[in-house]
Amino acid sequence: AAMRSRAEVDATLQTAKLNPAELLPAVHCLSFGPQAGGGECCLLQLEPGLCAELEAGRSLVVRGEKDEHAVLCSKDKTYDMKIADTSNMLLFVPGCKTPGELKADPSSCNIIHSEIAGFSKNYWELRRCRPKLKKLRRLLMEHPYEGPDSWKDQTSTFSKYTTEDLLSLIQASEEEILHQLHVIDACKIDGYWRILGFDYEMKLLNHVTQLIDSESWPLSKVPLCACLEELGSLEPREMIEHILLSYGRKYVDDGEVFFEMREDKICRAVAQMLLQNAVKFNLSEFEEVWQQSVPEGMTTRLDQLQGLALLDKSSRPETISLLKVEDLPEDNQERFNSLFCIREKWTEVDITPYIQDLCGEKQTVGALLTKYARSSMLNGVKVYNSRRPIS
Amino acid sequence: SGGAGALAQWVLVELQGQVEPRQSRDLAGSLLGDLHYTCEGIPVLIVGHHILYGKVVQLEKPFAVLVKQGGAPQPSPTGPHSHYTVTALIKTKLLFKTRPKPIITHVPKKV
Repeated sequence: AAMRSRAEVDATLQTAKLNPAELLPAVHCLSFGPQAGGGECCLLQLEPGLCAELEAGRSLVVRGEKDEHAVLCSKDKTYDMKIADTSNMLLFVPGCKTPGELKADPSSCNIIHSEIAGFSKNYWELRRCRPKLKKLRRLLMEHPYEGPDSWKDQTSTFSKYTTEDLLSLIQASEEEILHQLHVIDACKIDGYWRILGFDYEMKLLNHVTQLIDSESWPLSKVPLCACLEELGSLEPREMIEHILLSYGRKYVDDGEVFFEMREDKICRAVAQMLLQNAVKFNLSEFEEVWQQSVPEGMTTRLDQLQGLALLDKSSRPETISLLKVEDLPEDNQERFNSLFCIREKWTEVDITPYIQDLCGEKQTVGALLTKYARSSMLNGVKVYNSRRPIS
Repeated sequence: SGGAGALAQWVLVELQGQVEPRQSRDLAGSLLGDLHYTCEGIPVLIVGHHILYGKVVQLEKPFAVLVKQGGAPQPSPTGPHSHYTVTALIKTKLLFKTRPKPIITHVPKKV
């Protein structure tokens, strides 16, 4: 289309009976650019902080596979994306000046030909969400690492994941993914992230605890070098170091590396080892065996088993069974459904370890219970059960 | 992803209703109208035979303009997600909400 001239603009003003004296001298002649109707452009409404991130040159990434809802990830946060409709038409115009900008620059052109780059009736809205990390553990659990001698590892036909692979498959920011890898004690073997199979992990832990016992080292001061020397012939050095990092706190004293062993985590692992061998245990029998099985100097406590084991105080004798929160569904409703299938009525104390991970920025355990459960009194204690009938 | 170097600042123009071309041809390349500002800074848009008065709004939540690199033309909640590039930021909008004032034309002045 031919560009409008000043004369044409003035003629239009006159026809419209607008007084040029009341207007700023510059006019923008708006036309639709060549790509305008193509739908290539869309708008994303930015939450606080994201604008500054973009201006600082950092990236935002949209992640999600075919069957997943898209999420937007900054370096360290994850957002759900939703389309918001307006009843208005939104036009995006490059190079369009505001009155302030025009006044500040008196030499601006008299006619500014602005091309509308695109238009839309809707835009993407963002809402901060929990990173979707359950898939991470599920991917790594496809092929847990069972040790260098395991025949399974010799075949290279199964899927293994590098950091880049995980970044493209997991709907979470890079920082959230790396943090979660640390939380689940994943380690990098040959450039791929792996989770240790539980049996192999216990084998490694036993090597270390037996060595601590035979050397009479204090649990708070286990020397890395000596461990690598003594155990290096039994297992790869990286694995020995990995198990120390997983079950101990690393520190340096006088230039040497030591580990303060984590009592709670070790006791918990021993409990899992005992519990996974049967459906249910007599509670008092279990407590006895458990205490005898942990390293000398460590004390077992039932609160170490939150999110790992479920106590039944209503049965005679009292029992304990394995129930791992990581094995439960990630979706809120599905999580509650499975919990109520396992047990009809829960006290808040019992259910909290199994719903704690569902709490987001604004949702507390109390809020979740209000939404997904119904409360009643049982023997003077407040209990929660399902809102819907469980078959 | 963000680009290296400063991001362009665009402006959003918000109009009521639909924008339709006078002729049935494509919008691309066609004129929308003239945008003026009064000395007080009020935007005035002349579109066809209408005058629209608006206001300049600083957006509480700025927008990023995303350009899709390949893939389906319209963004959708599910489906393969292509790579997007942030082309520009929008911190200001010109909001035209008032009813358009029709321009009563006489014989157009010869140019």
